[in-house]
Amino acid sequence: MTEPAASDEMIPPGGPGSEKPIASGNSLSVWLWRTGLIVALLLVWEFSAGNLFNEFWSSRPSLIGERLLALFANGEIWRHLGATVSEALLGLLLGALAGTPIGIALAKYRRAAEIVDPFVMGLYGLPRVALAPMFILWFGISLLAKVMMSFSMVVFVFILNVTEGIRTVDPDMVDLMRTMRAPKSYVLRKVTIPSIVPWLLASFRIGVGLSLVGAVVGELIGANRGLGWYVLRAGGQLDTTGVFTGLFVLMLVAMIANQIIFLIERQVLHWRPATR
Amino acid sequence: MASRDEMKVAAGAPRIVIDNVSISYATPRGRLLAVDRVSLAVDRAEFVVLVGPSGCGKSTILRAIAGLNAAESGVISVDGKRVDGPPEHIGFMFQRDTLLPWLTVRGNVEVGLELAGVAPARRPARLADLLALLRLSEFHDAYPAQLSGGMRHRVSLGRMLAYQPAVMLMDEPFGALDFQTKAAMGRELLRIWETERRSILFVTHDIEEAVALADRVLVFSPRPARIVAEHRIDLPRPRNLRRLRTDPAFTAYTSAIWEALGDGDPVTA
Repeated sequence: MTEPAASDEMIPPGGPGSEKPIASGNSLSVWLWRTGLIVALLLVWEFSAGNLFNEFWSSRPSLIGERLLALFANGEIWRHLGATVSEALLGLLLGALAGTPIGIALAKYRRAAEIVDPFVMGLYGLPRVALAPMFILWFGISLLAKVMMSFSMVVFVFILNVTEGIRTVDPDMVDLMRTMRAPKSYVLRKVTIPSIVPWLLASFRIGVGLSLVGAVVGELIGANRGLGWYVLRAGGQLDTTGVFTGLFVLMLVAMIANQIIFLIERQVLHWRPATR
Repeated sequence: MASRDEMKVAAGAPRIVIDNVSISYATPRGRLLAVDRVSLAVDRAEFVVLVGPSGCGKSTILRAIAGLNAAESGVISVDGKRVDGPPEHIGFMFQRDTLLPWLTVRGNVEVGLELAGVAPARRPARLADLLALLRLSEFHDAYPAQLSGGMRHRVSLGRMLAYQPAVMLMDEPFGALDFQTKAAMGRELLRIWETERRSILFVTHDIEEAVALADRVLVFSPRPARIVAEHRIDLPRPRNLRRLRTDPAFTAYTSAIWEALGDGDPVTA
């Protein structure tokens, strides 16, 4: 696993946080441009639908807004939102809980890591979406099936990043602790764990999106609730407004989750020189 | 800050003894001899400097005393005890500051206090003393990333002193610093050492730094490291490093060491 497959599930070689921030997010002009762009896009959408082409194909922002309000008004949204968010969240947490110790073990026992490497990379390379039918077979259309789907997407992110994180622990720091006869538990607490925290947080950042993918894929295959199911059902009824409404809520969930991770990162990694 | 084991060893017995030690490394192209039958002794309260070309194996000797690598043959002992694994009361300083970036200045120095087993109730006072000694009091809440290179090295020195080592092993500790900061750190180290003498074994490839600091300078050959010359530096203490540079005795020592280094293979700086 020395040469991990280039993928957006991995952290750049300079370590987590070394990537260039896409936008600083704090400058006023950036926000003005963003708002302007969104408004312009929505306006174009709103007025071209029904004029340039049949609004059946694209719906329009005003209809989506109305649907959204209706879903919130009658409370139906919570059933779907709650299902999808809890599936993704459970999958993410399980992925972290299982992936972190596996990652630590793979970094610690190099020989074992060498032996299982092709298996891990094979599973990692397998499009896990293709496992969905099996999961439905094994776990039914229960919550568990979607959680497992989500878990299978996320767990490799933690395994690979934690392994890499532990391998980048500064050996001089560990040697220095050894010269002061520090107990193993002390080294773990003061050196190893803080070194992998940035990698864990980066894994969460990447994992949020993937866990949602897992949950939605699970819902597309077999469910009776959830945002993925809502989108699927709307599509089946040729209800484009419903499809777009579901997609919009999913996007919102992902953005909020990302923002939460970002805030946690800023809290926990305050010792780092400003990277963003 | 008297060292805790002052009584253990008969006064006059050397603190560190290295007897006929050889060390080699496994490399992809076979074993590489880094240290070739070296013998030396460091007395308590003695400041010994090892000079030699970069990569000659001086650091390997230091790491072996600290128990980080094993000697292949020969015996290393600290305070009369044979070294296998890190001995007690050893302070080590690397060329890099090796501070824990997620801890503040205070947190980093506290590592030394904690590992020395200083009771929690006594830590704040010791910490305040150390930070004052190293002129770091104002920065106790700063993280390493916010400090200059020189300040990070002072924190690193503070962490080592907090551990109350009887022996300080310093592996080119100021090698990465610019000329002025390096001189300032040298003065700082001497100031602290002259008030509270412990054994120091200090590795450098800077001859002037070696003569300015040392009681005794051991000159090493290019790899594999062998001792090719030994100079006792009889310059009075406390030393004024600035005045020292123009002192004829000082320049006599440095040129003698230049000469010793020049023997054999060309020196690679």
